[in-house]
Amino acid sequence: MKNEDYIKKWLEGTLTEDEKRRFEESGDYNSLDKLSKALPAFKAPEYDVAKELLRLEKARSSEIETGKVVSMKWMKPLLRVAAVFILLSIGYVFFVRDSLTTIRTFASEKTEVLLPDSSFVMLNAGSELVYPKKKWNKERTVTLDGEGFFKVAKGSRFDVETQSGVVSVLGTEFNVKNRDGYFEVICYEGLVQVQSRQQTVKLRPNHMFRIINSVATTEELTSQVSPSWLEGESSFKSIPLKYVIKEFERQYDVSVTTGDVDLNQYFTGAFVHNDMILALKSITLPVNISYQVEANKQVILSGNKKID
Amino acid sequence: MKSDGGVCDEKLYNELFKRHAKDLHNFLYYKYGAENNPGDLVQEAFLKLWNNCHKVEQEKVRSYLFTVANNQMLNELSKKKTVLKYSLEKPKSHTSESPEYVLEEKEYMDKLQNALESLSEQQRVTFLLNRVEGKKHKEIAEMLGISRKAVEKRIYTALGILKEKVGKI
Repeated sequence: MKNEDYIKKWLEGTLTEDEKRRFEESGDYNSLDKLSKALPAFKAPEYDVAKELLRLEKARSSEIETGKVVSMKWMKPLLRVAAVFILLSIGYVFFVRDSLTTIRTFASEKTEVLLPDSSFVMLNAGSELVYPKKKWNKERTVTLDGEGFFKVAKGSRFDVETQSGVVSVLGTEFNVKNRDGYFEVICYEGLVQVQSRQQTVKLRPNHMFRIINSVATTEELTSQVSPSWLEGESSFKSIPLKYVIKEFERQYDVSVTTGDVDLNQYFTGAFVHNDMILALKSITLPVNISYQVEANKQVILSGNKKID
Repeated sequence: MKSDGGVCDEKLYNELFKRHAKDLHNFLYYKYGAENNPGDLVQEAFLKLWNNCHKVEQEKVRSYLFTVANNQMLNELSKKKTVLKYSLEKPKSHTSESPEYVLEEKEYMDKLQNALESLSEQQRVTFLLNRVEGKKHKEIAEMLGISRKAVEKRIYTALGILKEKVGKI
């Protein structure tokens, strides 16, 4: 056998014992052996799939924000014709009016939004914020569906419109939470005016306004600098359990089956955003129910155990 | 046609990422080195896949990704020299080494690094996927879109060049 054949067989790892011995005697073997022992040091750096996937999701949601992703396969031919008409008839409108900017967060995702006047909004999971980018100087109005923490730059009136009411401020820090049948505004700094269908209230720092099932209440909170969800924790004070579970579903992107659990009982407590089992314990222990984690992002809660 | 809808379903898309991203990353790393940001190229390739998700059939996703990422690199004007990094910490079987030995070892690794960087992109990626990642000839052939015979030949040629450049021990 020629040296070349030995090397080829060595590469494939198909040398027989006998062949191996003969190959080892040749000068080539030692240098090849050393080379092959040194090669693993050149292994590619570790690739963190989960982290990179998260990065990709972020990049994709910011593409939605700038409107790059538009699925219009089926109306492509239609668009070609329509484009001409649109350009001719209402093209100029675009110079007068401007389009709205929409920022959306998916479940278990938070994002920071910097508005044109460098007002700052932190958007909680499963929320949507819409604002006019170009008209911002004239009109500081955002539409919020979900939950957001606002740090408003000083200036003219700043409005947050939600389904349940309008929150107006000058320059201040406040949190707005607007979920199905639940509306909550907490003022952290400055003065906030909340205008709901029922009434108009002015909120001073560390005061909270809340509407649950059309019942409005105002109460004072113990001093806090910012909402706890900014630090990766959701906290609740005397809130029906169903809203707590909804928030849990949003933070962990899971779906919860509740069975015979009493969803209207009040819950006071908190859960963290980075450890699902710990969070489940924090929710279920105080109200004495049990949980079960299934595959496919399913969580089953089952009824209040009777205490003997 | 079972994959008429392309890969627009988010769950499927994420699944595809988990299946292909690491291989794609390593392929780009071995071919173009650390300085050309293989991680970012993977991101861009997958974004492109998402934007064209209804056009790409599920079975063709892998070759689509490899082609797109490779083209992006070829179009890159500011392409940097290939730099491969090696780690010197190896499990030591003996307690102490003489300074001469450590120095020799370092010299050898530097030589090998230069030699690897001097290979052609094609030779390098083929050789390292096989010798470092332990990928089979068949798998590499599919990844690069070449024949198995060509893979074997590239590995053998690359080994010859390395042997010559690194010298006898």
